[in-house]
Amino acid sequence: MAEGNVQGPSEVPDELKDTVTLTTLEKMIEAMGDLLSPVVSPIANAARSNSVWPLTFGTSCCAIEMMSVGMSKFDISRFGSEVFRATPRQADMIITAGTITRKMAPALITLYEQLPEPKYVIAMGACTVTGGMFNDSYSVVQGVDRIIPVDIYLPGCPPRPEGILDALLKLQQKIRTESYAERKKKKYRQNAVRYVDYDTGRPLEDLVDEARYETALALDPLKSLQESK
Amino acid sequence: MSETPAAKPPEEPKGPGLCGQFLKDHGIATTRLPDSCGVETIEIDGAHLEAAMKLLRGSSEIKLDYLVAVSGVDSADTFDSVYQLWSYSNNNELIIKVRVKKTDVVEGQLPLVPSLSRFWSAANWHERETYDLVGIRYYGHPYLRRILNVWDWDGHPLRRDYKQLVDALNDKAPGSFR
Ligand code: SF4
Repeated sequence: MAEGNVQGPSEVPDELKDTVTLTTLEKMIEAMGDLLSPVVSPIANAARSNSVWPLTFGTSCCAIEMMSVGMSKFDISRFGSEVFRATPRQADMIITAGTITRKMAPALITLYEQLPEPKYVIAMGACTVTGGMFNDSYSVVQGVDRIIPVDIYLPGCPPRPEGILDALLKLQQKIRTESYAERKKKKYRQNAVRYVDYDTGRPLEDLVDEARYETALALDPLKSLQESK
Repeated sequence: MSETPAAKPPEEPKGPGLCGQFLKDHGIATTRLPDSCGVETIEIDGAHLEAAMKLLRGSSEIKLDYLVAVSGVDSADTFDSVYQLWSYSNNNELIIKVRVKKTDVVEGQLPLVPSLSRFWSAANWHERETYDLVGIRYYGHPYLRRILNVWDWDGHPLRRDYKQLVDALNDKAPGSFR
């Protein structure tokens, strides 16, 4: 994962250009870049850190605690996480509440990709931190940080609602201290480390490499002859 | 529990039990196995399974009309398909096993057991699950596909000879805590 994160900003391909929309504020910040960032970042960060809306994403028992923290007794909306949104387009954060199986992994990656930037992940519960009690299970992803980047790790099986609130406060601290311009420049890649192809179940990077290799061979058959010798 | 000495092998049952006798009266041969937790357990040949099930479910005196579970076991030398039946009216239980010897299974193929889901739709998903995890092929099943694992999974996880796949999702990275 470490090497994957230090890659430079990835170019938006031409055919996707019209799907990427920037707000006026973002365009302005991009134009002013580092110059404006020290002024805008604290204000924007304070606003953003107090309105981190989570995605309704619960895959097993941890989700019960996540529901409890949304109810009136613990009331996550006191801290600005007003409501759980049922679509990733309206959410800022995923609390991965519950075991992630291999069958669920592509869906989680899709949800993460669908969140608008800036997006955050709290890995909630032992299952999503390390695989937890499903250690060495044939079907469980051993730690959700193997498929998406995680900001806060929240151990426990399940963590108490207070723990979730604590994790949220830690996340808010993190948001307050980060620089908007740095994040825009994508110092580290904010996308899932592994795209999985639905048809074959194989990582997309491998498929792309394979396709590139085959294209190169098709264009230059002599090379394959040389390689085989 | 801890005071009991090492478990004795279960006693062989004497004669056929209630349901075994009933099936015998209707011309279906069964073998009685040691009771499992006090529940009558019989072994039956796969070819007679469907007829036996229809008799047990339809008859007024036995009336085992609730199929609790279909499961599978990879025993040392057989693949067992296990059916658990329950009767609401008689408060009675029965466990039926269909055993396929591993030596009878064609190399590279799955053991074959007839499907119940054509006339007992409760068996549909249970049989798919057993197929998925233990790898018993229920012939005559309308839609025998994996139900829990992804469709292109390799192998059957509850088999004795299953080798777990190691990839980026479960390897032991040197830096990880596992
Ligand atoms: S960490 Fe514990 S409580 Fe949370 S999903 Fe896993 S098993 Fe359930």
